[in-house]
Amino acid sequence: MIEFENIDLSFNDKSVIKNLSLKINQGDKVVISGKSGCGKSSLLSLVLGFITPCEGKVFFDGAGVDEKTVWDVRKRIAYIDQDTSLGSGSVHDLLDFVSRLKVNAHLNFAVDDLMKLFELNCEVIPKNIKELSGGERQRLAIVIAVLLNRDVFFLDEITASLDKHLKRKVADFFLNRENWTCVIVSHDPVWTENSAVRVFDFEENKWKH
Amino acid sequence: METLDIPVLSLAVAFLLLLIPVTISFRYGLKLVTPLFVSVVRMSVQLALIGVFLKYLFIWNNPFVNIGWLTVMIVVAVFASVKSSSIKISRIFFPAFISFFVATVSVVFYLNTFVIPLDNIFDARYLIVLGGMLLGNSLRGNIVGISTFYSQLRTDSNHYLYVLSLGASHQEALLPYLRESVQLALRPTLASMATMGIVTLPGMMTGVILGGASPEVAIKYQILIMIAIVVSTITSVVLTILFTMRVCIDRFGVLRADVFRSGKQVSNNWLLKRWRSLVMQSGVRKR
Repeated sequence: MIEFENIDLSFNDKSVIKNLSLKINQGDKVVISGKSGCGKSSLLSLVLGFITPCEGKVFFDGAGVDEKTVWDVRKRIAYIDQDTSLGSGSVHDLLDFVSRLKVNAHLNFAVDDLMKLFELNCEVIPKNIKELSGGERQRLAIVIAVLLNRDVFFLDEITASLDKHLKRKVADFFLNRENWTCVIVSHDPVWTENSAVRVFDFEENKWKH
Repeated sequence: METLDIPVLSLAVAFLLLLIPVTISFRYGLKLVTPLFVSVVRMSVQLALIGVFLKYLFIWNNPFVNIGWLTVMIVVAVFASVKSSSIKISRIFFPAFISFFVATVSVVFYLNTFVIPLDNIFDARYLIVLGGMLLGNSLRGNIVGISTFYSQLRTDSNHYLYVLSLGASHQEALLPYLRESVQLALRPTLASMATMGIVTLPGMMTGVILGGASPEVAIKYQILIMIAIVVSTITSVVLTILFTMRVCIDRFGVLRADVFRSGKQVSNNWLLKRWRSLVMQSGVRKR
């Protein structure tokens, strides 16, 4: 499904990824582990076309990710990071904006059940996003990602602002969906405790288990 | 009714008025004397030279010379406009030039062909003067438009990338930034139009009246020029953003980092800040 082939990546002449090869199959739940700031999130950005490798190639569903294919690749992925920038309008404006995107035209944006599931009060909808707490923003980003009805999820430190009970709930939610492919960047043991999860050591460039 | 000429000595008396801002500057330590002196000297020399140049331009009234001079005016306006943004001038000069040229020339020729009963649509008295008024406003609008668009895109890059990650098309992701930049660029012109005649007596109308025309004729010209200003400003701002996007944003939809200049190279920021503060006071909604 997603394949990194001999990837070299550097920023300002500093090497971040060297000769990395990694294959992720459909339905896999993969945690990318490594020290903070070692460049784990760059892997996700490579697939989304936000950065391009100095060497090597990224494949998504067998096709190389380039300036033509990346637009379709993004339509298959739901991406959330630790500090997803949801903009500065109201929650309602954001949901309205997302639902009006052409790619989402066929979707039913019924948020109530999902908001309840992630313990997000519906009273936040008229509020400005900047008034929400870090945890609320995080859960809102998760709700939106699930609403998109994608089958690949890039989850970059998404449980960092959540309490223990919600961390478990969020992790179980994603890990129990068999068909969903989840690439998770996290230090949180809540993800690795699950036996279905494979852990890739980013610094050693090999599978841990 | 003839225009009264001002003797040179009398004009020199007008300069005495500048003693007021000089005194205020000294009294409050504004340090404005040097920039004021430089600006007044530049303005006087430039206008004196252009006065002589325009005199001969009007006498020749050659279509090629007139179009050539309008093109020079556009080049200068584009340069002044793009140098105030944080983008490298070499990257966006040509697309901005095309935008200014299309917006100014099309509107001026529309006026000269369909509105003003001219025998010669290349007449310097109309082509150069109307073109100059439109360019001045397009210049101010573009300083705000280009700078706002790219600075917002840069500071809001995380949100922009998030929107791309949602599967948004290029147009969908950039539309909010385009919308805000154009609104911001147009707001002062629209506000000025709305208060025209009550709060302000515009320069062109004053000039036409001083030139000996009746107020009725002056008002007709003022209405015409204000419509032309709005049309050319919005057209040039939108076209400049659309054309420069092609060189500043890569095919992945990501803003190129190498198109930006270093902070020291960016000039006219004071003008942009001042403009923005005025506009924000007039109530433009922040994204």
